[in-house]
Amino acid sequence: MMPALEARDLTYELGGRALVDGIDLAIGKGRFTVIVGPNGAGKSTLLRLLCGELAPTRGEVAVGGQSLRRIGAWRLAHMRAVMPQAAELNFPFLVSEVVSLGVDGIGRGLTRADRAGLVRQALDRADVAHLAARYYQTLSGGERQRVHFARVVAQLAAGRSVESQQILFLDEPIASLDLRHQLAVIEEAKALAGAGVTVVAVLHDLLLAASASDDLVLLRAGRLVARGPAEDVLTHARLAEVFGVALTSPVLPTQPWAAIPAAGGSAQRL
Amino acid sequence: MSLPFPSRLRVSRRALILGSLAAMAARPAPAQAPRRIVSVGGAITEILYRLGHQDEIVGVDTTSLYPAEAMRTKKSVGYVRALGAEGVLSLQPTLVLALDGAGPPDVLRILEQAGVPLTRVPDDPSREGVIRKIEIIARAVGAQDEGAALIREVEGGFSKLTEERNAVTRPVRALFVLSLQNGRPMVGGRGTTADAILSLAGATNAASALDGWKPLSDEGVIAAAPEAVVMMAHGPSGAGTDPFTLPAFASTPAAKDHRLVVMDGLYLLGFGPRTPAAAGDLMTALRQAPRR
Amino acid sequence: MKAASPAHAGLQGLRTRPLDQRVPIVLGGLALLLVAVSLVSLGLGAVGIPVGRVIDALASAFPGAPAAPPGDALVVLQVRLPRLLLGLLVGAGLAVSGTLMQGLFRNPLADPAIVGVSTGAALAAAVVIVMGPRWFGAVPFLALPVGAFCGCLIATLFLYLIATRDGRTSIATMLLGGVAFGALAWAFMGFLSYLSNDQQLRDLNFWSMGSLSGSTWAKTAAVAPFILPAMALMPFLARGLNALSLGEAEAFHLGLPVQRVKAAAILLVAVMVGASVAAAGIIGFVGIIVPHTLRVLTGADHRLLLPASALLGGALLVGADSFARTVVAPAEMPIGILTAIIGAPFFLWLLLGRQRGIGA
Repeated sequence: MMPALEARDLTYELGGRALVDGIDLAIGKGRFTVIVGPNGAGKSTLLRLLCGELAPTRGEVAVGGQSLRRIGAWRLAHMRAVMPQAAELNFPFLVSEVVSLGVDGIGRGLTRADRAGLVRQALDRADVAHLAARYYQTLSGGERQRVHFARVVAQLAAGRSVESQQILFLDEPIASLDLRHQLAVIEEAKALAGAGVTVVAVLHDLLLAASASDDLVLLRAGRLVARGPAEDVLTHARLAEVFGVALTSPVLPTQPWAAIPAAGGSAQRL
Repeated sequence: MSLPFPSRLRVSRRALILGSLAAMAARPAPAQAPRRIVSVGGAITEILYRLGHQDEIVGVDTTSLYPAEAMRTKKSVGYVRALGAEGVLSLQPTLVLALDGAGPPDVLRILEQAGVPLTRVPDDPSREGVIRKIEIIARAVGAQDEGAALIREVEGGFSKLTEERNAVTRPVRALFVLSLQNGRPMVGGRGTTADAILSLAGATNAASALDGWKPLSDEGVIAAAPEAVVMMAHGPSGAGTDPFTLPAFASTPAAKDHRLVVMDGLYLLGFGPRTPAAAGDLMTALRQAPRR
Repeated sequence: MKAASPAHAGLQGLRTRPLDQRVPIVLGGLALLLVAVSLVSLGLGAVGIPVGRVIDALASAFPGAPAAPPGDALVVLQVRLPRLLLGLLVGAGLAVSGTLMQGLFRNPLADPAIVGVSTGAALAAAVVIVMGPRWFGAVPFLALPVGAFCGCLIATLFLYLIATRDGRTSIATMLLGGVAFGALAWAFMGFLSYLSNDQQLRDLNFWSMGSLSGSTWAKTAAVAPFILPAMALMPFLARGLNALSLGEAEAFHLGLPVQRVKAAAILLVAVMVGASVAAAGIIGFVGIIVPHTLRVLTGADHRLLLPASALLGGALLVGADSFARTVVAPAEMPIGILTAIIGAPFFLWLLLGRQRGIGA
């Protein structure tokens, strides 16, 4: 089967230095892939290359077998959504309006009621429905991240009627979240993957990455070190070599946290 | 077509509050009514007063400082270059006299369009220029006789001035300082009214190397080597500053005798009927024994 | 958060309504305000004309209507009406330009004057005033408006070119470029004022203050073909500017042709600011006051913000002008001074508010 997302000899140079260096990668449809690596390994740069935000110096990215260069921004927006690390908003938008941005453009073919429905669902899925009438600027960093998660979920939902193969890119989506919401966002991403959406995320938390992902992509200094299931990638030798840490147990420990199903409502979904 | 005007809006009442220009507004004046003149330019107002037509003036601009009564008793139409068309029209003028440079040009155009007789008065800083101003204004208000008398008087003044000037053996080298903002002098070079009045007063312009009103550097002041400094009593920055407290001026010949002449701005630079007298006063002041 | 006064609660209620409910309320309200301000403006003036006669004079413009007294007709139809229309066009143009600029730069403090667009127009006009007589013997008819417009376009294109690399415009570079360009332009202005004679100096000074005095039908007719088409095109940018407020990368992810939207916004700003500056000189702060007030009251969505800016901008400038030309009647106050008196404290308040983190 054709990979949903493919990189060939992907290289990005800035000021004569290769931030991403000759990466070959193929990611299957519906897989949850997490990019890991120490600081400065090129994780975010790789993600920005894969989603089309940066144009590679060399090599190319293909989505569904088609070169990214030949896909316009408009069509691409139906095929993939990108959740940024942080997005500053200098204008007093309401939370519901920020989420609507995900469907205002590419959801133009839908009815107004349909768009409103998608926004409502996305607000629920990211557990921010209670914030809908708040100003985005008054939210905490974690709440903002959840709002953007809702926005990309809404964008995917709006694009689904046009493009069946979709990719979700997440750049450190849980960096500012409390534990419960970290788990919740990861669960939602896994659920999307289960529904056939290819998910590519950058995560810092190795344990969470290991437990959540189908595949890990380990980077160091812009190069691909290893890829595959977590237990194959995060070996003692590699952890020592790449991260400079040693495991205190013979095998990779499992994620110690689990979400407690709450009494009802939206919290249960998360 | 009927527009839904709010009934609270009583324009005429507001106009009453503004002054006496109310009820008859914008109605054509009867043929025999007295002339209503809007005078735009200090020299024009001065000449109208001298021609005895001051009672016909209904509005003056803010440069009409002489006689002082003009600004007190007439409506102000604002700065000579920032007139408002409706403001002028509200005075129901039967004649607008506008000195060169009055405007904005579009406002004058609207006034002409409105059928208000508009006479533009050229402003040439010279003996001939003053005579022409009087001629044009006298003709416009039908005061040819008074005009001729005034011209005779002014001509007489200029002739007397010429005689006095011819008696000057060595012209004084004078620098006209318009303002001294932050100690930076703005001086009158060639082509300015200052240059003209200095030459009428038999003085040499120490800044004749410059064209127009220009800031002069400290070294420029020293190089100009003025024997006297002329300033306006009501200049843009007032006449508070004594130039000789500034190092550059302190080293000029003028500083030695503390030769500083301070005179009224409009009197000195207005180029109206008082110009011969102003030039004469300036000449006397420049030649007078140093003050102090 | 403030205590929830009924007015505050009412506004919050309006604010949280869906866009399609807010649009008719806000635009309808602003249109009413605009009509009211326009009628007051037509009724007010140094020449006192009772309301009934103002209506008669307006009606006399239509064929078949009874003629009004010629004095009334002149003042209402030749002085007040063109001035009203020019004020509406310039006010709307400046306010919408401010809104576009702020959306483009994702910064509520951005203003055509800040990125050097107005300065470019002003410099070009100064060149015309000072050099015109040297080159052509006199300032040619229409040279001032055409010059200001060209200056505006050149400034904008120059900024766009220095700030664009590989088809992407860096907002930071553009802002810095604007500051540098502004400094350069003011230096040239200083040089020009050195070259100019007494009268030119005063012309420059007067012109840089901005005024609607001297509005004629010809001027209004010259400005309308620039501002009206720009207004007609502006709704097409609304969604794009909304997406752009998240950032250029995010806007691209949402499917926006980012470069095209930015280029279009820049062009519209140049056209509207150039025409406004040419017709009325530099009138500051309208582009800051209007969009900011509207964002707080009715929301940041550009689909509503842009048309609302046009309406409120027109109303604000016409209202300010009505005041400027009646308060010291029969003289008048330059409107640029008036908008600066209202606008500068507003701007400071805005800055302080942002410092305290409640910036909108």
